Amino acid sequence: MVQAVLQQAVAGFYTDLVTRPTGRAVRENIERELLPGMIAVMDFTGVGCLDYSCADEIVAKLVRDRVKMLLLRGLTDAHREAIEPVLAGAGLAVLYERPDGVLEGLGASEPAPALLDELVARRLAARNPGGSIRLTAA
Amino acid sequence: MTRLVEVPTQFDDRSFDQFAAAYAQARDGERLLFDAHAAEWASPYGLVGLLAAGEAAAHKGERPLLTAPANPDVVSYWARAGFFREAADLFEIHGKVPKTRPAVESDVLLPVTPVRAAEDVHAVVSTIQQRASAILSSELGLDPKATMGFAMALSESCQNIVEHAGTGGWVAVQAYNWRRKLARRVVVIAVADAGVGFRHSLESTQAKRFGDRWGDAAALEAALVQGVSRFRDPGRGQGLAGIRRYLARWDGKIAIRSGTARIAIVPRWDDDVPLKDALPAFPGSQVLLIIPELQTEKGSSKQ
Repeated sequence: MVQAVLQQAVAGFYTDLVTRPTGRAVRENIERELLPGMIAVMDFTGVGCLDYSCADEIVAKLVRDRVKMLLLRGLTDAHREAIEPVLAGAGLAVLYERPDGVLEGLGASEPAPALLDELVARRLAARNPGGSIRLTAA
Repeated sequence: MTRLVEVPTQFDDRSFDQFAAAYAQARDGERLLFDAHAAEWASPYGLVGLLAAGEAAAHKGERPLLTAPANPDVVSYWARAGFFREAADLFEIHGKVPKTRPAVESDVLLPVTPVRAAEDVHAVVSTIQQRASAILSSELGLDPKATMGFAMALSESCQNIVEHAGTGGWVAVQAYNWRRKLARRVVVIAVADAGVGFRHSLESTQAKRFGDRWGDAAALEAALVQGVSRFRDPGRGQGLAGIRRYLARWDGKIAIRSGTARIAIVPRWDDDVPLKDALPAFPGSQVLLIIPELQTEKGSSKQ
């Protein structure tokens, strides 16, 4: 949970992911906890405001430098509005799991579908008859 | 010697250059007297700009003097807007100043608040979300989703101080009825500092690229229009770009004054000039964001 990491990283009780120093502190805490593997999952449930600087400092830098595939959960529309342009501007993409379990690509238009295709190819996700993609139980 | 710097009777971004011209006359070592006794009204931009002038004057010479507005309603409003709480540390204040605490009222969404570090930005964002959502959605007719974008824009505006100014600054947010210009309600974010300004902040990475054109105007253009930052990190420059996107969506305006120049992204409802150069020099940077009340399809205001 990103909010729990925020509480560890920043003095005082805040639910907002704002400012670069905060983003840096949260990312560094996340990096310490990262397990080797193909997909890193971040849950934004409980996070209030996410600004562009923090979106860049956390999400874009993790994708650029540390993880091949990042799956985001618990995003609000406002979170998406911060993350999407930051990723798109950097030519990066992540996966987003909607509340109904459907997976979407978020960010630059080229790498986003490729991430979904790779998940399906590795049988970590499956394409439903309707065309939507969800994580497999495994 | 004491030099008089008159505060315009209607003190906002439009009269700011008149104030800056008076300020720019000051010479090192002179004590400044900021005379606001005739002030009738000041926008958040005027109030935070006056604090920036006070801080810069204090750095240059003796602690500046400030004559408070003579009109009891005006001085009471300045107190409720949180101005005197901050001014007390910067100026030797003359005149009757009410001992009012900064307001918890509908029009002052965020009283004049110092911004010195990232923790201050957290506090500002937290406060504004508690106070502004009702105003933004019910009074300005903005989608509730716009509230979070508003907090993001506010956060990024304040971070300019923390990341670039090299000193502290102030922010204030207020909603008011802008009859003269728009006949609509607006929410105004004003941020000011007396720091190094955009030109100095960007000089090491951008001056060469601009060559002879380099100056305050070019620096503002680089930051706001081209989204460049003094940091070489590829993800930098997101803040002002994000603010522009938010304002474009809600038909808002941004204007930034720094040094001797001022740049604005001008919406259809405004007749401001996009870029002004050779203005009277003023320290630091002053940022103004205006988000107007949403108009319905029939052209009437949403109330």
